Amino acid sequence: MITANSYMHEMVRSELSWALGDDHVQTGDSDKLGHSIDYYWVPEVWHDRGRTLPAPDFVVYPGSAAEVSEVIKIANTHGIPVIPWGGGSGSQGGALPVYGGIVMDMKRMNRLLAIDPVSMTATAEAGINTQHLEWAVEKVGYSTMHFPASIACATLGGFIANRGTGVLSTKYGKIEDMVMTLEVVTPTGEIINTLPVPRHASGPDLAQLFLGSEGTLGVVTKATIKIHPVPESRRFHAFLFRNMHDAMGAGAKIMTTRLRPCVIRLYDEPETARLIKRVLGIDRCGAYLVFGFDGPAASVDLEMGQACAICRQAEPEDLGPDMGQAWWDHRYKFFYPPYMFHLPQAFGTLDTVATFANIEKVYWAMKNVVGEKFPQAAFIGHFSHWYEWGCMLYARFIIEDPPRDPHEAVALYNRIWDTAIRAAIREGGVINEHHGVGLKLGRMMKDLYGPAFRVLEDIKGALDPNNIMNPGKMGFRAKGS
Amino acid sequence: MHIDNHGDVIAACRFCFMCRHLDPVGNVTFREADTPRGRALILDRVRMAQERLANPDFIDTMYRSALSGANRQHCVSHYDETGLVLAARRDIVAAGLAPEPVKALAHELVRATFAIEGRGSSLYFGDHPRLYPECATLSGGDPGVALEALGFAGEAAEVLGRLRGVIAASGSGTLVVGEPSSYVFLKKRLGGIAVVHCSEYLLSTAPEAGPARRAVYLESDFLRNYADGMDAPRRLLRRHGYELAPFGTNAEESHAVGEGAVVFDALQPELCKRLCRRIRELADNPAADLFITPSRHAKAALRKYHPEMRVVSLEEAVTQERSHK
Repeated sequence: MITANSYMHEMVRSELSWALGDDHVQTGDSDKLGHSIDYYWVPEVWHDRGRTLPAPDFVVYPGSAAEVSEVIKIANTHGIPVIPWGGGSGSQGGALPVYGGIVMDMKRMNRLLAIDPVSMTATAEAGINTQHLEWAVEKVGYSTMHFPASIACATLGGFIANRGTGVLSTKYGKIEDMVMTLEVVTPTGEIINTLPVPRHASGPDLAQLFLGSEGTLGVVTKATIKIHPVPESRRFHAFLFRNMHDAMGAGAKIMTTRLRPCVIRLYDEPETARLIKRVLGIDRCGAYLVFGFDGPAASVDLEMGQACAICRQAEPEDLGPDMGQAWWDHRYKFFYPPYMFHLPQAFGTLDTVATFANIEKVYWAMKNVVGEKFPQAAFIGHFSHWYEWGCMLYARFIIEDPPRDPHEAVALYNRIWDTAIRAAIREGGVINEHHGVGLKLGRMMKDLYGPAFRVLEDIKGALDPNNIMNPGKMGFRAKGS
Repeated sequence: MHIDNHGDVIAACRFCFMCRHLDPVGNVTFREADTPRGRALILDRVRMAQERLANPDFIDTMYRSALSGANRQHCVSHYDETGLVLAARRDIVAAGLAPEPVKALAHELVRATFAIEGRGSSLYFGDHPRLYPECATLSGGDPGVALEALGFAGEAAEVLGRLRGVIAASGSGTLVVGEPSSYVFLKKRLGGIAVVHCSEYLLSTAPEAGPARRAVYLESDFLRNYADGMDAPRRLLRRHGYELAPFGTNAEESHAVGEGAVVFDALQPELCKRLCRRIRELADNPAADLFITPSRHAKAALRKYHPEMRVVSLEEAVTQERSHK
């Protein structure tokens, strides 16, 4: 960090102001506080306990790719970290300014630039709030079909930086499936574009290199994404299975039969008892499975019938379409206070993805190890984002009364993460599906990738020789190391 | 401290991002501080150590809020972040920390006096007495809602007390209020008299007319977020032959350019200008459309910063329609 009131601070501040204008360079305490906490539990508890948080030296709001480039060049000159910030709603600490430096808040770049109704694509600046983007696209009769719980908080660039996923991912894909092309400012300040279409044989896919790079390999400033017609019909249906295993079998069969639901979500017995009861009012034991189909009404009816028939083979309780629709209607409610977990609880999402062959093993490995080693922690989970080959496990641990001392609390928190995630990796799980790596999981990247991580490190070194882009995140080296 | 009475809001909002897309100021400054989360974080810090209230940056942030209520309305649990900011402003004032422009505004507002002209079983408090020939007219300044928004609760009560005395002396049983901020404030605070919004009153005498003239209705923050989404203004306009086109991309965002903060343009002209610019950007046909707002503040601000836009108040729209016949 640069000492405030020092001449170096003023040197850098004035250069940034020349590049962006005074209004777009902030150094006040309000801005620093707002940018020192994201949705990661560790800074939250640190704040809650009255401790000082690592804060940015400067918060800047570029208005164009050229201004992003200017900021990056200034940062390279002075060797100052640049931390891109979208909505700040990431849960992995990926946007935290752990070494101070320049937080580059992208929200000023919020324009929807074009809609191509022929190809059905939309081009927008990366700082656009995704709810605003969806509303704007809906106004002209389309949808992004990207409906994550964080739609109201996050930016398009944030989803791209973390390979985000929306509720309808099973049909419409993750953000990396939605992106056509990207504009990126590299860590040395060049403005580049990836190829205009995502399917080609012109070498490796450069866009995929930046998707999920969490601001470590550059700053995404613009993206063209697919948009979709609003479906004629969208229907849901819910069942309550005797147990999670039976429900998993039904869900996997729906996918391996190659039906195309837009969503499947399966809650294990503890989460059904805890959250589904609280939000939807279903007060019965079992595993809640909901799925939906959308598109032309005739095909929705046909696929829905087949999926229900698959489920009924396991003789679950049929909760019907109303309890499926209720889930859809309340799908975001889970994330509002007081329904969302919150302090004083300690909680974490052990987000893991695996094949159908491994996913239950991953679940039990994590559940068992958390249960054995951390009896004070409850373990719940649901399975969302289903693919032809497997699905994502959204497992969570919750400690109702973590230690008051923040050092002890964070140490315990880290131990649980470490233990559970390493157990998942041993069973073929991949961390993670859509939250990203950030600060939280960086230390596990070498275990996850093995020798292949060296390839990523070499790419990072080549693109960012001064290591200014979000240092210390995603398992890449820290500032000054 | 007053913010201590809002501990549940601080706890709920300080780490929650779920309504940030609806903060009108945050949507034009893009600053994390200008969101319910950002403000709750600041006030959590203040709650932990009261001396932090004196931080000029924190104070400035509290007075930047447009108090739209859109965030509270959106929240599934309706946590009242606007109430929290109002409490913070009261704490700032109580600690003698109010910025000079705030104090100067309050000094003006507290001098408000009220008078009644004419006769009638009902009173009308607004800008268009000719629309209410059967009502006596109550005239005067802000009834206290602006002072309350600035954090001067005691002074607001003093002004309201003066108003209450004048109304009591009139013996009227109904008070018809034109301005949404005053309507919500007086309905909640006055007591002893039926308080109705002008649109509710005018509906009873409005003619039935088919759609004839396109207009865009800019919703009032007060009527939507603090009066259960009152629909009377829309019904009234339809009765008067207006075909109302939806504005913007959604029905949740504030389109009232700082109405919630009552004296927003006087206090934050640069921010108000930016809010107006956003309205112009969101409009489909800003140069051609007729915009109707129930808010005197919204009309004045939009006319000031975008004189090319045709913006009229609800009551003006009714008057204009009558004059066309």
